[in-house]
Amino acid sequence: MKIIATLWNTLKKPPVHISLGVIIIVSFVAGIVFWGGFNTAMEYTNTEEFCVSCHEMEDNVYQELQTTVHWSNRTGVRAICSDCHVPHNWTSKIARKMQASKEVWGAIFGTIDTPEKFEAKRLELAQHEWARFKANGSLECRSCHDYNSMDWDKMSDEARRFMEPAAERDQSCIDCHKGIAHKLPEQMGSEDPMLARLVREATSVSLDEGQRYYSAKSVDLFTDPELTQRAGVLQVATGVNIVDTQGDSVKLEIPAWRKEKGFGRVLYEDFGQNIGSAVLNKDIAQDDALIEVQETDVVDEMTGLPWGRVNVALWAEKGVYLENREALWETAGQTYRDACSVCHTEPAPEHFDANTWPAMFSGMVGFTNMSAGTQELVLKYLQMHSSDYAEGAH
Amino acid sequence: MAEVKNESRAGGKRREWLAFLFVTAVVVPLLTIAVVGGYGFVVWMLQVFVLGPPGHGG
Repeated sequence: MKIIATLWNTLKKPPVHISLGVIIIVSFVAGIVFWGGFNTAMEYTNTEEFCVSCHEMEDNVYQELQTTVHWSNRTGVRAICSDCHVPHNWTSKIARKMQASKEVWGAIFGTIDTPEKFEAKRLELAQHEWARFKANGSLECRSCHDYNSMDWDKMSDEARRFMEPAAERDQSCIDCHKGIAHKLPEQMGSEDPMLARLVREATSVSLDEGQRYYSAKSVDLFTDPELTQRAGVLQVATGVNIVDTQGDSVKLEIPAWRKEKGFGRVLYEDFGQNIGSAVLNKDIAQDDALIEVQETDVVDEMTGLPWGRVNVALWAEKGVYLENREALWETAGQTYRDACSVCHTEPAPEHFDANTWPAMFSGMVGFTNMSAGTQELVLKYLQMHSSDYAEGAH
Repeated sequence: MAEVKNESRAGGKRREWLAFLFVTAVVVPLLTIAVVGGYGFVVWMLQVFVLGPPGHGG
């Protein structure tokens, strides 16, 4: 207390021993030193070296970045953490630095100090960044990438088809370009929650012999009820007749069409339509004991290929079949609309025919984060609701 | 009287320099950091509760 009082007494009087000139110069120099030091510290906390000094960053996101185009590319320009994750204007930057106190807290108490903990939190963390990029129109991306500097003629037609309308709308980059510098959260990459719900529902559907059911996901097929000899894969939303039940296995009869050229490994939903039902192993597809031919040498006028109608009976696990496809189509339709409308108006399923959809779909699906299983279902939905099947369509 | 004044003069010079350097090198920099940090913290809290994430050009 006494020291503070003495200090205060000294400070409130004009100096008698130090000249005004000395005070000015010393204060000025101290100001320069402080400002320089402040800036240096701010810059240091923006360096990659600083960011990856926490192993949370070093082991996870930093490693992922190194596999992407933002790490190495043909032009040799590279983004470091702060280029994308720290706002560049002063106020937002200071606020972000303060926000980092939460990261310091996390580092001290080990909130995400193992890969498992990090994965569990990945979706939440990613959503924070996406919200930020959405709010500021992907401002940090645009420090480097600018719609006005894009030369449409130098883009591939495919890229241009999306970038030009996006530029017109001044669309936020992150709307389409999620997961380009780090891995997408697993929940988005692997499983659609609505689809997962249907698969769960299927576990409680009781199967009656002689009835028709539909697969809620792709199912492995076997030649024996013990499910040891693999025969192929039944695709999602494929109609099957239950012919036998044994323990946890069911014998399925898959009515299908196939091309009578080649090995006939792929089974299709309908004559002349490339709508996948199942894929068989080569030896199975050639095995006359397993494949019961119903019709043969039916020629498709469009391609001149002979098709045959077959029944294939194979074993598979129980509990993955639904009584009808309505819920599957509903989920697929919702997913289709959600995923595609992010970037463009999605065409109605009946806008194309069943054999056009696969090429259309595979050209586009890379822009979405649908999992392989979801892709399979959505494509089948589109084909089964294409102009070949829709009533009154063109 | 003069001796006392001389004594306090020498001590006064020391005190004055100490006070001057302490304030310029320690107190003011700390205050500045606290003010800037406090400003950042207030903006952060406003973003969390009122403003939402920093917007386009904001």
